[in-house]
Parts: sequence; structure tokens; C-alpha cells
Amino acid sequence: MSGPTLLLAETGPRGLQAASLETIGVARALAGEGPVVAVIFAGPSDTATAALAAAGADKVLCLRHPFLEEGRGAACAFVVAEIARELGVELLLVGGTPFGREVAGALATAWDALAATQVTEVRRTANGYSLKRPVFGGRASESLELAGPRVVLALRPNSFGGAPPTPRACAIEEHPVPTIPPALLPGTRVRVRPAESSAGPDLGTAPIVVAGGRGFKSPENFHLLEELAASLGAAAGASRAVTDAGWRPGSYQVGQTGRSVSPQLYIAVGISGAIQHLVGMMSSRVIVAINSDPNAPIFRVADYGIVGDLFAILPPLTKAIRTARGLPT
Amino acid sequence: MRIVVFVKPVPEAETRLRPSADGARLDTDGVKWVLSGYDESAIEQALLLKEANAGSEVRAVTYGPSPRSEEVLRACLALGCTSAGWVEAPADLPPDVRLKVRALRQAAVRWPADLYLLGQQSLDTESGLLPLALAMALGVPGANGALDLAFDAARNELSFERSSEAGVEEWRLPSPSVIGLKQAKNDPRSAKLQNILKSRKMPIDRIPAVELPAAPEVTGNANRFRFELPPPRTGARLIEYAAPDEAAEKLVRVLREEAKVFP
Ligand SMILES: Cc1cc2nc3c(=O)[nH]c(=O)nc-3n(C[C@H](O)[C@H](O)[C@H](O)COP(=O)(O)OP(=O)(O)OC[C@H]3O[C@@H](n4cnc5c(N)ncnc54)[C@H](O)[C@@H]3O)c2cc1C
Ligand SMILES: Nc1ncnc2c1ncn2[C@@H]1O[C@H](COP(=O)(O)O)[C@@H](O)[C@H]1O
Repeated sequence: MSGPTLLLAETGPRGLQAASLETIGVARALAGEGPVVAVIFAGPSDTATAALAAAGADKVLCLRHPFLEEGRGAACAFVVAEIARELGVELLLVGGTPFGREVAGALATAWDALAATQVTEVRRTANGYSLKRPVFGGRASESLELAGPRVVLALRPNSFGGAPPTPRACAIEEHPVPTIPPALLPGTRVRVRPAESSAGPDLGTAPIVVAGGRGFKSPENFHLLEELAASLGAAAGASRAVTDAGWRPGSYQVGQTGRSVSPQLYIAVGISGAIQHLVGMMSSRVIVAINSDPNAPIFRVADYGIVGDLFAILPPLTKAIRTARGLPT
Repeated sequence: MRIVVFVKPVPEAETRLRPSADGARLDTDGVKWVLSGYDESAIEQALLLKEANAGSEVRAVTYGPSPRSEEVLRACLALGCTSAGWVEAPADLPPDVRLKVRALRQAAVRWPADLYLLGQQSLDTESGLLPLALAMALGVPGANGALDLAFDAARNELSFERSSEAGVEEWRLPSPSVIGLKQAKNDPRSAKLQNILKSRKMPIDRIPAVELPAAPEVTGNANRFRFELPPPRTGARLIEYAAPDEAAEKLVRVLREEAKVFP
């Protein structure tokens, strides 16, 4: 390989995105002894930059520009493509967030690259990269061979476990921002309201998600779900029946018209398992269903099930998890 | 307002997925093709904008083989689209988004619009790459994952919300723009029988494959070499229990020791 392996890191309200950290491990594994260079739209002394530097990159390039920090896919892709050309990069990785998907799409054009999203496995081959990704909402998977010279991959969150890379000596440099063509900048991000979510991690990339459905019967009962989520350090989600009824904000919704999630563990409580819900969570690694109806379709995709009344099951379950994890009960 | 909606036929949700004999792709024998879910929402969104802006036109455009292309275009006409465009293509396109960009760019040039609307991602291949790849190629602003679009004719501006890692973002983009839609205000409508009958006689404008610009140097080579189903889900292993406490403890044990999902 000629140039370094490049990755584009993403920052969010909570600092460096978990999806970006995962990207470093994969970049490291694919780069072998070659250098891994990370690009971040943040300052050299920001906490996200420090986290990135500590995670195993050889070099972090910091670019500051308000439009880039707004996460405009086209402008970000333009800038990253310029850097990739400058460094002679052949492989570029991004996290599998909405931002990562936008940038990957824009890079296919801006960098004239082969691109794939939702990548769950990847290895180098004689010609380029061989990769696997889920399709049809996790009901099947496809394997692709992308034979470079330029390849951009957006990785599916939580798909690449394994040991975190060993930190190395990392150079943090400020990099000048190439002049962005004016055609890529029009439009205004009027404002951003923080998502109304539970205290836990972000739903889209959390390693554990617990989601509640109409079985909770009323909004007052959702504390049972939030408590279960807290015991696991999980993100809380919901079915559309729940968000449509206003029991939980729209940002909780998992499924075709909500967030797509692929955690290590997904616990569906009082959710029937309609196809529009399943396509948003079916590629989770382990699925648990708790439902009073033994014929609920959710049991067909779940690995483990408890047939029972959630109001009876959740309190002891939360307690048992807290005990198992050594948390106060 | 002129709107072009790019739509893709996908196997209907109930399709039993099977790999082809060579194991490389989906066996499409006997598959019934329907509009991809997010594209249904994009059509709904376009029709809502058409209803809100007098004198608007909505053109559905697809790039693909026969007969599925005509079938979904007729479905779009039956829903209320005013015209349809078909860019002909062979059934098996390599998984390289740049090829689609080239074809759809041709359609965008032939049918200029104030808004190029797509689904945020296809329901079958789930790539989600096309909206921004196309925006870049057309040199106009692009955004993906939009909810509930509005058009301000006086300011020639589109506004929408979308959710990102930062929260719920509120955007205004000048027209023309390329937007990948997640959800319209309403669930997609269904077509009335009389409109289905009428749509059968409506013309479909074609861009024959040969009219596409001669391939520029396409760098790199993408191919799909395997399509597989996950090991069959045998259904959940049900936890047997006499009392809720026992169910809770047994579940914690299997998650920890067997599934190894939490420390
Ligand atoms: C275009 C479109 C898009 C859609 N997008 C989405 C989407 O993104 N996400 C989504 O989730 N849905 C979506 N839907 C809706 C979907 O079809 C279902 O209606 C919805 O998922 C049902 O939510 P639910 O499972 O919470 O409710 P229900 O289907 O009513 O199921 C409630 C479940 O709770 C169980 N239950 C009841 N009481 C108890 C109890 N005491 N203890 C344990 N279990 C109990 C019941 O047995 C039942 O299985 C969409 C629909 C359409 C048409
Ligand atoms: N062959 C096609 N013809 C027309 N539009 C398409 C085609 N493929 C994808 N699209 C559009 O692009 C969106 C995103 O697709 P994808 O990037 O393939 O996930 C889809 O929802 C469609 O709106």
C-alpha cells in the first residue's frame, strides 16, 4: 500500500463518537504496519482530539471550519478528498452514523471512489478489499469485492469487537482547510435541538439497547424501561406505537421510519415485532424478547424469550442485573 | 414546483429470500417488485408538495431493467405522479454507486427540477450512498435523512428537520437540491382502483441505455460475489420459570455466560 490509511472521526455532543473509536481498531488491523491518519473537524486541544490520539492513530489532522463542524456531508467530503489525494490514500474509513453515510456517498463522487456502507467484516485481498454487509434489514447478507484504487467504507457500529488497539506515539497537527467551492456551502442549519433521549448513550451506536412497546400501556410506566436501561448502561428506545402516542419522544423510535440499531444486545419489551420494527433492529447480535403473547412475531427473531407480564418481570430483572454487575439495588 | 423522485423497485416484504444457483446474488425468479419503502414516502412527500403548490409536476424516474421498472413507474403514476421516466439498464448492476450516478444524472439533465427527491436508502441493499453522491455530481446542495419537507416558493427554499448525532437539526436549503427522505408527514397513500386503470395507458418516457454517455474511465472494479442467509433463526429459546424472580435470574445467567453480552 502506498499512502496511509485514512479515517474521518466524528464528534458529537458527548465528544468523540463511539463509532469513530471502533473505526481506528479496524484501520489499524487493515493498515498492518502502515500509518493510520485520522482527520477530525475540531481543535488540537479538544477532548475529542485527545481521545482520538490516545486510541491508536499515528497522526491526527485537525481542521477547523464552522461549516465542517456542522457536519455538511458534501463540504466535509470535498475537504477529506483533497487530503486523501494529497497523502496518496487508498482506503478511507468512517463510522456508520448518518454523517458517515452522507460523507461516504459524497466521497464516491468527490474522490471517485468505490464505496460501501454498513460493513460488518472486511479484509484485504490481492486486488483490494473483500467485505460483508447485511441487506434486507438483516434478513440476508452480501459479500462484495471492491478492487481500489480508492475505497471508502462506512462501518456498521458495534460490528467489530476485539481488543482496542494499543496506543502509539501520535502527532497532532493542525491542517489548513482547502478552499471549499461555494456551490457546496449554500443552505442554513437554522438550529439544533438536543435529542430528547434518556440519560444513557446514543441510541444509534449504543452497545446495548432496551426498547419498549405498546405493552407498557401508559407513559407513566416507562420508568420501568428507563430503570432497566440504566442497570445495563443501555440506550432506551421504543416502537412507533409508543412514539406516535407521544409516550416517548420521536428520537426513541427504532425501525424503518426511526433509528436503525445494531447493538450487541437488544431487549424488546412489550413489542409485537411488526416488520417495520424488525428491519431497524434485526441485525443486533443477541435479541431478547419479553412479551405476554407467546405467538408474538418478535419471538421468531429473538434468541431468548420470556413469555410473561412485563410489569411482573422488569422489576426483578433490573434488580438481578444490578446485582450481577455489582451496582447498588 | 417541478419535482423529480428517483425510485427503485425492491422485492416485496413477504418475499422468501433465496440465493441464486451460483450463490452470488438474490434469486429473483418469481419475485414481485414493489416501491422501496422510503421511496414510497418520497412519492408521498412529492405529492403533498404538489398539492400545496398549485401547478406543480411530479415525475417518477427509475434506472433498471424491464419489466420491474415499468411496473413501479405505473404504480407511481397511479398514486398521482404526473409523468414517469425510465433509464434502461441491465438487471445486474455491479455494486458501484458511480454507475447509478451517471445514469440518473442523465435523467436530471433531461428533466430539470426544483427538487430531486430520493429515499434515504434502498430497502434491499440499504446503501444510502446515492443521495449525496448524486448531489455532488449535480453540483447542488444535498442532504439525507430528511423528515417532512416544506417549500417556500417566495424564497425558493426547502426546509426540513432531520436527526443526527447532534440532535434534531432544522435545515433550509435553496432549490434545486437533492434530498434523501426518511419520512413524509403522512404514511404513504394507496392508489385508487380507477387511477390504477388509468395509469396503464399513461406514457413512460424512456432514455435507452445506448443514449447514456460512453463510459468514462471507470476506475476500480466492484463485484458482488456472495448472497447468503443467516443461519435460520430457530425462534427464541424460551426461559422456563415458576416465578418472575426465577425468570430474571435465568435470563441474566444466559446473557452473561452463554451470550456473553455484559460484564
Ligand atoms: C409506513 C410505516 C412505517 C412504520 N415504521 C415503524 C417503525 O419505524 N418502528 C416501529 O416500531 N413501527 C413502525 N410502524 C408500525 C408497526 O407496523 C407497528 O404498528 C408497531 O411497531 C407496533 O408497535 P408495538 O409492538 O409497540 O405495539 P403492538 O403491535 O400493539 O404490540 C404490543 C405488544 O405488547 C404485548 N403486551 C401487552 N401487554 C403486555 C404486558 N403486560 N407484558 C408484556 N407484553 C405485553 C402484546 O402481546 C403485543 O405483542 C410502521 C408502520 C407503517 C405503516
Ligand atoms: N436504480 C435506481 N433508480 C432510481 N433511483 C434509485 C435507484 N437506486 C436507488 N435509487 C434511489 O436512491 C435512494 C437510495 O438508494 P441507495 O443509495 O441505493 O440505498 C433510493 O431510496 C432511491 O430513491
